[in-house]
Amino acid sequence: MLTLMHKKHWQKLIVYILSIVVFIFVLGPLVWIFLSSLQGEADLFVVPPNWIPKKITLDNYHYVFTGKIPESYEVKGLIRSRISQEARYIVPTIINSFIIAIFVMLINLAAASLAAYAFSRIKFKGKMPLYIYILTSRLLPAMAIAIPFYFIVNSLNLLDTKFSIISVHCVYTLPFSTWFLTLYFGEIPKDTEDAALVDGCNHYQAFWYVLLPIALPGLSAACAFSFVFSYSDFLFPLLMTQTLKSKTMSVLISSLSNNPDVSYALISVCVVLAVIPLLFIGFFFRNYIIKGMTIIIK
Amino acid sequence: MKDIFLSLEVLFRPRGIRRRDVSLVIMKKKIGNMTGYIMILPVVAIISVFTIYPLFYAIKTSLYEILLARPFLRPYVGYGNYLEVIKSYYFFKSLLNSLVYAAMCVFMVTVVGLGVSLLLNCRYKITNVLRIIIVVPWAIPFVVSGVMWKWIFNSSYGAFNGLLYSLGITDAYVSWLGHPLYAKICLAIAHAWKEIPFAAILFLAVLQTIPRELYDAVRVDGGTSWMAFKYVTLPLIKPVLLVVVIWETVIGFTMFDLVYVMTGGGPGDSTSLISWYTYAETFKFLNLGKGAALSILLALIVLAMIIIYLKVIRVEQVY
Repeated sequence: MLTLMHKKHWQKLIVYILSIVVFIFVLGPLVWIFLSSLQGEADLFVVPPNWIPKKITLDNYHYVFTGKIPESYEVKGLIRSRISQEARYIVPTIINSFIIAIFVMLINLAAASLAAYAFSRIKFKGKMPLYIYILTSRLLPAMAIAIPFYFIVNSLNLLDTKFSIISVHCVYTLPFSTWFLTLYFGEIPKDTEDAALVDGCNHYQAFWYVLLPIALPGLSAACAFSFVFSYSDFLFPLLMTQTLKSKTMSVLISSLSNNPDVSYALISVCVVLAVIPLLFIGFFFRNYIIKGMTIIIK
Repeated sequence: MKDIFLSLEVLFRPRGIRRRDVSLVIMKKKIGNMTGYIMILPVVAIISVFTIYPLFYAIKTSLYEILLARPFLRPYVGYGNYLEVIKSYYFFKSLLNSLVYAAMCVFMVTVVGLGVSLLLNCRYKITNVLRIIIVVPWAIPFVVSGVMWKWIFNSSYGAFNGLLYSLGITDAYVSWLGHPLYAKICLAIAHAWKEIPFAAILFLAVLQTIPRELYDAVRVDGGTSWMAFKYVTLPLIKPVLLVVVIWETVIGFTMFDLVYVMTGGGPGDSTSLISWYTYAETFKFLNLGKGAALSILLALIVLAMIIIYLKVIRVEQVY
């Protein structure tokens, strides 16, 4: 009896310790970046680093939004302070990324759910080959079509527009969404729709009035997947965008990280601002995302 | 279903059967439902236009020698670009780099992901909280993950160096991103940080479908926890294990974002992965023919890897 209780306590202790290690590994970088964004540049350049920040200022955020240079950068002496105007472009680029991701999400929702309905419910000739064709187009590495895509878009004079990025993101998210939604619709019993069809609906009405309300969790998961993919994509916006008209968040963050004139406090601010929509989605949609991944493995 | 009703209705109609109705029914039975084609049309159209045409364009470009420095002379070289690429000094080196990097990523993600999922499968309060938090890194882009870990691994002021120095493990700051081997490991850690939640959630979903009776049977037969893991858990998660390994290999092999943000090719050539060279060949060396040849080769290599995986593991129940 005593040994049994001992074993249970040991187990609980090990689980707790390992969980705390995983916690630190998963959340540590995010917390560290958040703390870095709240400090002045001089406070970050100490050896060893301050684990608990000594002085918290919102000056960096103030700079990014209004352009007022924080005081800590003006007292420098020989070392040139690293504050670049490029960091102030983060808000327009986040808005660009957001608009592109929303459009991709809506197009995904409309086209992929229709196609998934057709693949899971309707019998037509050539269904299997078309399904396999759509799935294998997902296996194409992005690099293979990115470069020719650049030249095609260039010849159409669409190089610096959001439209080109939206189209190429759709190409990359539609196969996955279609496949995922086909699996999801396959799990929903056909009886209600058959009843609707008997009552005189055509397929479109059955889809709109009967299937969509039942399938909302799966559709939310597909929306979340496509939004996150489009928002975080880097290769296509890198090639397709030049000016602020269509630059996305990921391109700006990468150019800031390679810019020697941007202090790490500023980069941290940009990273924190860029990540907020994703954290929002990750937190509120997590149940749908987890359920979606569960369906994929079946 | 509707076909049956349509044909029945035709049979019981008061007037005579019209030829138009019969041929309509036969057409519907032969082709199936026209609605189906219309419904999948948007998806198939978008995918075809933006995949097939660029692919053919890439193949066509790879057959010519196109240097942006002299753009109007484009001689046809056939497979000359491919030969030049394969014989170049960087091709096999970067393939090796990519393979090492992909292997590290796959190992880290699979092993740690499996461990984390086993942890999440225990029913304690802290693991329930962990399940909520674990989704967060999956939603973060690779670029952001690269910037965060670049700051942590910074050679002068980074948190990782500070941690090791404060704990006394090292006696000076080490330049992690400036050392050929450590740079790859840092890239792999940034990659694994983002991919472990994905693998952990997939494994957790499978672990939750394993019935408890199997574990009880092992316990009754006198087996240890390790035996329970080896003979019950591992065989049942094999399909998902395969999916995770394939996915991670493909993503690790074609990884571009992290290289661009963290190391830019790495100290010397050590983190120049094959995807990085495709980008560099086109946009830095401005040799479009070779860049296109490299991208086609990359696509073929990825396809070959997937086929090899599926053949070697001999898939019967995985679709």
